[in-house]
Amino acid sequence: MATAVEQAFRICGARVICPFSGRDEVRDLHVRGGVLCADAGPDACVIDADGLAILPGFVDLSAHLGDPGYLWRETLVTGSRAGAAGGFTTVVASPDTDPVIDRGPLLANLEQRAAAVSGARVRFAGALTERLAGMELAEIGCMVDAGAAAISDGGRAVGDALVLRRALEYAQPFGVPVILRPAEPELEKDGVVHEGPVALRIGLRGLPSASEEMGTGRAVALARLTRARVHLHGISTAQAVRQVRVAQEQGLDVSCGIPARNLILVDEDVARSQYDTSLRLLPPLRTGTDREALLQAVRDGVAMVTAGHVPLSRVEKEHEFERSAPGGAGLESAFAATLTALDGDLALVAEALSTRPASVLGERAALSEGCRADLVLVDPLAETCIGAPQFSMGVNEPLSGRTLRGAVKATMVAGRWAFNTLLP
Amino acid sequence: MSDSTARVARRKDMLGLRGVSREEITQILDTAAQIRRVNRRRVKKVPTLRGRTVVSAFFENSTRTRMSFDLAAKRLSADVLGFSAGSSSTKKGETLMDTARNIDAWRPDCLIIRHPSAGAPHMLAKAFDWSVINAGDGIHEHPTQALLDMLTMRDHLGTLEGRTVAIVGDVLHSRVARSNIFGLTTMGAKVVVAGPGTMCPPTLEALGVEVRHRIDEVLEDAHVVMMLRVQRERLGKAVMTEVAEYARLYGLDLDRLQRARPDVLVMHPGPINRGVEMTPDVADGERSVVLEQVSNGLAVRMALLYLLLGEDGGDGDRG
Repeated sequence: MATAVEQAFRICGARVICPFSGRDEVRDLHVRGGVLCADAGPDACVIDADGLAILPGFVDLSAHLGDPGYLWRETLVTGSRAGAAGGFTTVVASPDTDPVIDRGPLLANLEQRAAAVSGARVRFAGALTERLAGMELAEIGCMVDAGAAAISDGGRAVGDALVLRRALEYAQPFGVPVILRPAEPELEKDGVVHEGPVALRIGLRGLPSASEEMGTGRAVALARLTRARVHLHGISTAQAVRQVRVAQEQGLDVSCGIPARNLILVDEDVARSQYDTSLRLLPPLRTGTDREALLQAVRDGVAMVTAGHVPLSRVEKEHEFERSAPGGAGLESAFAATLTALDGDLALVAEALSTRPASVLGERAALSEGCRADLVLVDPLAETCIGAPQFSMGVNEPLSGRTLRGAVKATMVAGRWAFNTLLP
Repeated sequence: MSDSTARVARRKDMLGLRGVSREEITQILDTAAQIRRVNRRRVKKVPTLRGRTVVSAFFENSTRTRMSFDLAAKRLSADVLGFSAGSSSTKKGETLMDTARNIDAWRPDCLIIRHPSAGAPHMLAKAFDWSVINAGDGIHEHPTQALLDMLTMRDHLGTLEGRTVAIVGDVLHSRVARSNIFGLTTMGAKVVVAGPGTMCPPTLEALGVEVRHRIDEVLEDAHVVMMLRVQRERLGKAVMTEVAEYARLYGLDLDRLQRARPDVLVMHPGPINRGVEMTPDVADGERSVVLEQVSNGLAVRMALLYLLLGEDGGDGDRG
C-alpha cells in the first residue's frame, strides 16, 4: 500500500463538485502522495472520466460491521469493500458487536486491524454504556484515546434519562460526537412496522412515531443541558426532523441522519411486498408525509443521509416478518437511492453524504488542493437495478428490485483506489 | 357443483378477505350453502378430492378450527395429515421455512396453517406452488371464520347489503374482527365497533368502520352483535382493567339485549367466556346463533377446499 500512496493520478474531464468550497465545474483533478495537488506531474496515470462526476468521498456515521462476534453478517474486510463499492471513503462501525466495543484495548485492537483493510477507511464508535445495557457508562475516555470516532449505543436507545444525561456530560469534554438512536424503548416493545393504518390493516404491531419524537425531544433537551455534540441517527419521522430543525435554529450542536431508503420507501411498501422481511427495518418505513418532511430536511440542510447499513444473513431474515431480525444492508445502494430521491441534484447529494457527516467527525470533506484525496467518481446518468449486495455479506437489501439513478464507478481513499471499475 | 363456480377466476390461496371481491365471496358462500347438504346425509362423504393431500399445520393451540378443517377435508375424501406446534420440530429450532420445505417434499396439494405471526401464510404461499389456506395468522386475518360468520348472517338476514354489524371487544388485536370487517364492508354491510380505548382506538376508522365506545351505543341499530373473546392471558401490559369492569361496561346481558332489535343475531367466534363477554342466558338464549356458526364453519371450509382444489377449475396435473 505504500506504493499506492506515492502513485499519481490525473482524473480528466469530470464535473468536480465540492460543496465545501462551493466549486462545481468540469476540471482535471490531480492526486499525488495521497493528497489533491495542482499538478500530479508528467508520470501521473491519466484516468478518463468524461461524463462522470467527482464528489468528496461519502462518510457513514453508523454502520453495523458485525466484527467482532457476528462474522456471518459482515467483517471489517467485507464491510470496508462494500463501503468503497458504495462510494464511502470513511465508515464508522457501530459498537453493536460481541463483545460490545466498550473498552479501550478492544477498540485499539480493532483500529490496528482496520488499518489493513483495502476498501473504505473503517473507524469505530465506542459504546456509550457498558454492553449497550444503558446502565453504567463505558470506558469512554480510554476509547477516545484509542481513536474512537464517536461514542454511541448503536441501534439501542438509552431508556434512562439520567444515564443519558451523565453519558453526555461525561463525553462532552472529550469533544467527540455522541450518536444516539432516538426512541422510547417501552413504546417499541413488539413493534415491527410503523404504527398507522397500514400496520392496522396487515396485522403487524406498530412502532409509533411518538417513540422517535420522545427520544428526539429528550436528546435535544439534554444536549441543551450538557452542551454535548449530539448526532441522532436513524431519523424517520416528520416530528423528529421538526424538533431537530428547531434545535439547530436555537444554536444547539444537534445533527441528524436519515437512512437513504426512507427517502424512497414508505410503509405501504411493506403491505405491497406481502411481508417481505427485507423491509423489517429500524427505524421502520414511515408514511408519505414523513418522507416528504425528510426530503425537505435534507434539502434545507437540517439532515444528512446515512446508509443505515445493518447486514444480516439469510438465516436471520428467512423467518416470519415479526420474528426476522430488523435491519437492511445499505452501503452499496445509498448513493443511487439518495440521488434518485433528490432528483439528480449531485451537489445536494455531496452535502448529504459527504460534507455534513464529515463535519460531525470534525473533518472537512473537500476537493481542494492539499486535502486528503478521499473522493468518489459517479455516473449520474446510469440506471442501476438494485439487487442483493455484491460486496457486503448481508442478503437483506430493502431496495432490491428497484431501478434507481446513478452508479458509483470508482472510490479513492487517501490517493489509493479502494474500488475502481474504470481501470482496465 | 355450482353454476357460480365458473364466474370467478380460480385462486391458488386463501390468505385473507381483504381484496377478495364481492362476487368471489358470494361464490364461496353459495357453494357452502349447497355443500351443506352433504353434511345432512347419512353417508357424509363425496369423492371430490380423492387422491389429494391436505396438510394442516397449527403453530398455535386450536381444537375446533383444526377439527373443522380436518373434517372438511375428510368429507371431500382428501388425505389429511396434520401437526400442531407441540408435536413438531419447531420447538427444536427448525424455522418455518425448513418445516415447509419438508412438507413440500411430500408433494401436498394444500396447506392449512395457523400461526402466531402475521404474514406467515403469505410467506409460504409465495415460496411454494401448493395452495395455502390461512387458518389465522397473528392478529391479521382469519378468513374462514369471517366467511362462516357471513354465511350465518346471510342465512338469517337474506343479504348483507345495508345491514349493520356491531363488533364488540378487542377489535385491535382480533384477526376475527379484521377478516369480518374486510369481508362485511366488501359485501356492503356497515360495521360499527365498540370496546375499551385500548382495544377499540379511534384509529380503527382507517379500516372503514365506525368506532364507538360503549356497547349501548351500538346495540340499538345492529342486525348482528358479534362479541369477541377476551384473551386476557394474551393481552399486553395495561390493556385491560379488572374482568368485572369489562363485563359490566362491555358485556352483553339480557337487560342490554332487550334494548336491541327483537330479531338481532348474537354471535361469538368461541370459546365463550360465560359471564365476561356475555351472560350465560344470552350465550344460550334464543338470539344466539353460536352453534350455527360452528356447523357453517364446516361447510365454508369444505367449499373453500373444493374451490381451491377441485378438478373442474383445471390444473388437475400439478406436475
